[in-house]
Amino acid sequence: MQALFVFLSIAALSLLASSRTVLDPGRFPAFAQLAASGLLFLACGAVLGPGSLGVLSSGDLTALRPVLALGVGVAGVIIGLNLEPRLLRLLPREVYAAALAHAGTAFLWVALPLAGPLLFTMNLAPEAAVGAAALLGAAASLSSGHFAVLGYRSGRMERRRGLSVALLTMLDDVVGLGVLALALVFGAAAHPLEGLGLVALALLLGMACGGLLSFLMHGLNDQGELMAVLLGGVALVSGAAAYLRVSALLAGVACGATLALVGGRSVERAARVLGRFERPSYLLLVFLVGAHVQARDMMAWALLPGFLGLRFLGKVLGGSFAQRIAGGTLALPPRLGYALIAQGGLALCLVVEYLSLVPGPLSQRVFDVVVAGAVFNELLGSRAFRYVLEPAAVSTRGGGP
Amino acid sequence: MKGALLRLLLLVVVLAAIGRAQTWRVDTGTSVTLAAGALLLCGLFAGKVAKGLGLPRLTGYLLVGVAVGPYALGFIPGAGVKGLELVKGLAVSLIALVAGTELQLGLIRRVGTRVAALCTAVCGVTFLAIFGVLFALKPLLPFLTPMTVSQALAVSALVSTVVVSFSPTVTIAIVQETSARGSFTEFLMALVIIGDLLVMVGFAVAAGFTRASFGGGLDVGGLLGGVVWELFGSVLVGSVLALVMLLYMRRVKHELPLFLVALGFVSAEAGAHLHLSPLLVSLAAGALIANLDEREGERIHHAIQRAGLPVFALFFAAAGAGLKLDALVTVGPAALLLVALRALAIYGSCRRFAPPEDPRLRRYLWMGLISQAGVTFGLAALISRTFPDFGPQVEVLIVAMITAHELIGPVLTRRALQRSGEIHSDEAQGTA
Repeated sequence: MQALFVFLSIAALSLLASSRTVLDPGRFPAFAQLAASGLLFLACGAVLGPGSLGVLSSGDLTALRPVLALGVGVAGVIIGLNLEPRLLRLLPREVYAAALAHAGTAFLWVALPLAGPLLFTMNLAPEAAVGAAALLGAAASLSSGHFAVLGYRSGRMERRRGLSVALLTMLDDVVGLGVLALALVFGAAAHPLEGLGLVALALLLGMACGGLLSFLMHGLNDQGELMAVLLGGVALVSGAAAYLRVSALLAGVACGATLALVGGRSVERAARVLGRFERPSYLLLVFLVGAHVQARDMMAWALLPGFLGLRFLGKVLGGSFAQRIAGGTLALPPRLGYALIAQGGLALCLVVEYLSLVPGPLSQRVFDVVVAGAVFNELLGSRAFRYVLEPAAVSTRGGGP
Repeated sequence: MKGALLRLLLLVVVLAAIGRAQTWRVDTGTSVTLAAGALLLCGLFAGKVAKGLGLPRLTGYLLVGVAVGPYALGFIPGAGVKGLELVKGLAVSLIALVAGTELQLGLIRRVGTRVAALCTAVCGVTFLAIFGVLFALKPLLPFLTPMTVSQALAVSALVSTVVVSFSPTVTIAIVQETSARGSFTEFLMALVIIGDLLVMVGFAVAAGFTRASFGGGLDVGGLLGGVVWELFGSVLVGSVLALVMLLYMRRVKHELPLFLVALGFVSAEAGAHLHLSPLLVSLAAGALIANLDEREGERIHHAIQRAGLPVFALFFAAAGAGLKLDALVTVGPAALLLVALRALAIYGSCRRFAPPEDPRLRRYLWMGLISQAGVTFGLAALISRTFPDFGPQVEVLIVAMITAHELIGPVLTRRALQRSGEIHSDEAQGTA
């Protein structure tokens, strides 16, 4: 019966999140911001989950694991499809260096200081604490480019600048995924070699499914059939990963990237079809992610200000490094770090994967901190981005007739 | 067709490899998403192969489900198939919602009385034939042998009611697949839907008598209340859902697919928990929307129809994977006898009682009434749960019958539509 509550809540949320009154930033700015980004679903999931009101029990969350795996798989395939090999090959070295600089700075800025509190409060093996801190750093290193995209689409930001910021945020996804793979090597099995085998299995599975999907899609002209093949392919790769208890996210990314590499003309159609499912599956995913939050963990709340503050500083500093490195190649805005404050859905995918593959109190604490941080960063990101736009607005006014 | 066959074989090989990998990965996780993906893909390409062979796609979905499912090759774990119950409920809700949008008041006025009369005749004749044979076989059927005469009569009536049932899901799926349109198709669809309503009422009455014959006492008020609640409660809940849907579509307009899927789940879950018929809930919702606001009805119809292929492929492939082949071995002869008898009774009653003004009804309608699927499964499982002494044996017998009906029913339904001349898509020519 609880599944009924989930879907009723989602239906009610869809209604709420689509209401013009709610979406009017003039009335409830924070609410409108969360509704537009979909994080309202996350907050609702957190309230209804076993860690808060308990409308959904832990048993319900176990029963809904297939939906969670599917959501993470869809996200992975979409990320993989966006990693266009031709585009990546064309990018100059400075761009990679800039992406690594801003993501790496935020990573180190968060992971190093927080490793200590994790180590001393959890009474666990040092490598486990280091792995958890690395994952906190990985989640912190990720940024969302949606404000930049919205900025140039609405004309508030120059198109080249918006695209440059979006490109940098896309590249830091790779850093986050790399750290997740590393954390799983050390945390998902009793021995690092076995962990490495499981990560390799996830990647191989993804590549095999990507190749298969490309072959299955070849010559399909009917839209309905194409949609069915894509949905089936995504379910197959994420389902097989969940069944073999390997990362559905890494398998999905490998599947999407393989498809982008060998799919030829069908890649564009696949991206279009999957794009139609992106938002519904994302909303379901964030709702379920929210339901896994244990809001009563005081230590997680205590770590949260540290995580937010350190990430902010890391992003500002990393942004200025990236500006120095690639300022001549990319049209990066001044105060770039402020444009990188918002956190994307991938951060949620990373920690939910960590939680399901490395269960325990440590991964739950990391998960809680990152999920709560994502909500705060979204709200903070909106204000911070305005700060990036201000000089442009001044110069436009100054340059006008 | 060769390309589809090659793709299907490749998929089966990949599934086998995943199954092989599982043998060394002892600590496995959930298999539901894997089952969903594998059955959807296998079903899709098996449907194309079946179409190439001149069979309905639905037969391909069912057969491939049987082949890769836990009772044959075993590439898909049983837990995964069982976990798809929620998806099955969703599919039935969506299928019924689409069917409901086709139930215009004009159609009901046009064929309602004739359909109801023929349906009563067909169900009545089939019920009497099966009931008679079951009772006559009392000394041979293990679950009837130890019963008293009154108990055997009640149980025979209960089983006969379930055996009479049709399959609206199969009929609707074949109609959607072939884009059949016309008076014959309308008559057939209306008949299977009304037939299921009759079966629900009959089942509730027969279950009440069976309970009384086993010492539970005959609670007439409870019996009537149950029937009234199942029928009118379903229509009531369906109407509420329809109003919610209309409100959403007019006011919000965003995220319609997500909202429809959520509502499908609500309908399936609420139906199961409140002892309502999920089929009737969605049917009523679809019909009310279509008759209140034709434009919104069309919108829902098209939204779900676009997503019809994956829903049907997954639903029927999962149904195939759930068919217990071993049941065929143990109760095969009795089941085959009942299958033949049911077919004969339906054929005879259609030839005798179908309206004479359209000769196609007398000739081909019986073919469209052979299928059995979701409703029959549900009632068999209900017997098993309600009467644990003999219910599980009855369930095995009925599931064996469903297996046979699932394999021949869709082919016959398609042939009925084809011979009536109402198939308008390329399916009519059997192109691959």
